[in-house]
Amino acid sequence: MKESVIRGSGLAASLAYAAVVAWLYATQPQTVAQVTGGFASIVGTYKVDPQAFADGLRFFRGNQFVEARAALLRADPAERDPQVQFYVAYAYYREGWGRLYSDDVLFGKGLAAVDQAIALAPGGRLAVDDPDLQMHSADELRAELQRGLVRDASDFNPLRVLGTRK
Amino acid sequence: MSAAREAVLLPLIFLTVTLLAGVQLGPGVAFVPPSLFALVLGTMLLAALVRAGALAPDRLLHGSRSMLANANGMVVLVSLFGAASQVLAMLTPRSGLPLFFIDVFLFVLLVNTLVAQPDRVRLLRSLAVILGSALVLKFVVLAALSGPSGSRTARVLAALFDAATFGTITQEPQAPGAGYLAFFAIGLFLIGVGALPAARPYTGGAGLQTIPPR
Repeated sequence: MKESVIRGSGLAASLAYAAVVAWLYATQPQTVAQVTGGFASIVGTYKVDPQAFADGLRFFRGNQFVEARAALLRADPAERDPQVQFYVAYAYYREGWGRLYSDDVLFGKGLAAVDQAIALAPGGRLAVDDPDLQMHSADELRAELQRGLVRDASDFNPLRVLGTRK
Repeated sequence: MSAAREAVLLPLIFLTVTLLAGVQLGPGVAFVPPSLFALVLGTMLLAALVRAGALAPDRLLHGSRSMLANANGMVVLVSLFGAASQVLAMLTPRSGLPLFFIDVFLFVLLVNTLVAQPDRVRLLRSLAVILGSALVLKFVVLAALSGPSGSRTARVLAALFDAATFGTITQEPQAPGAGYLAFFAIGLFLIGVGALPAARPYTGGAGLQTIPPR
């Protein structure tokens, strides 16, 4: 083979490999699904499983939040779809919401999921047109989750028990 | 040096080492970049390789070479630096006194190697000993002191040791595969360093005229 061809193809392959290594260090994927999904989304071939997503929505609307998250995780194993991540965060919010207090662990996970959804959305703006929800944008959901994590005097307000879950 | 070795083999080896040496196994997988001190140690290692003739930079980057060949040479040098820094970072304990002492140990050994200016073969042997001993220290000795003990007596002894040293020696437990991964990364790195273009041997001053005695 001609030397320039070897050098040229070797250079291209090395730069591509170096880009993959740099991407791995930058994004810190935790599972093989996240690695493959990340590469697929870079080349634009990543797709959410529609059946699993529909299952997730059905569980979500039936207040079966653990089952909903399992189905949504199956629909978006690489955590690359902003809408699915929005529903994951919403499932954490609804499960963690309480009249007397909210579950900080679930709200913390919800905040991480909605941050992921915002990071994935184009321009950081995400709106979901779902009549079942009372918060349609990721910003509202994020603010609600953050309010739930903050401890202040309003936590001791007895009128809090009259509040409603969104 | 063949074009395939320079353009394909060496970058492949060093980029793989950069990737593997940064992997930190645990409940999840994390890719940990090298610390600032590891970058300093990596620079010193490159300097030692050049001084010992194990790496001839002019055979990778030179005005007489084509632009494409120089680009290949640049990739080799950059990936070698990344791999060297990452291997040294991998061999450094994560916290406490062992972190300090291993950093000092590696620094002194590399300074000594720079000053002693060994030839290529001796440098490669010395490098294998340095990396091997650091591997044993971190992944065998410290891992044995820090790992979860089986029997009650062993747990009591470990707790006493931890109390006696104010918790400055023991490290976070290593994942079972971490040592094997480190061993593989070091082996691959040494193969890559051995395959680098070496300085051509000095021919004994051919062409120079000796001054006749008066």
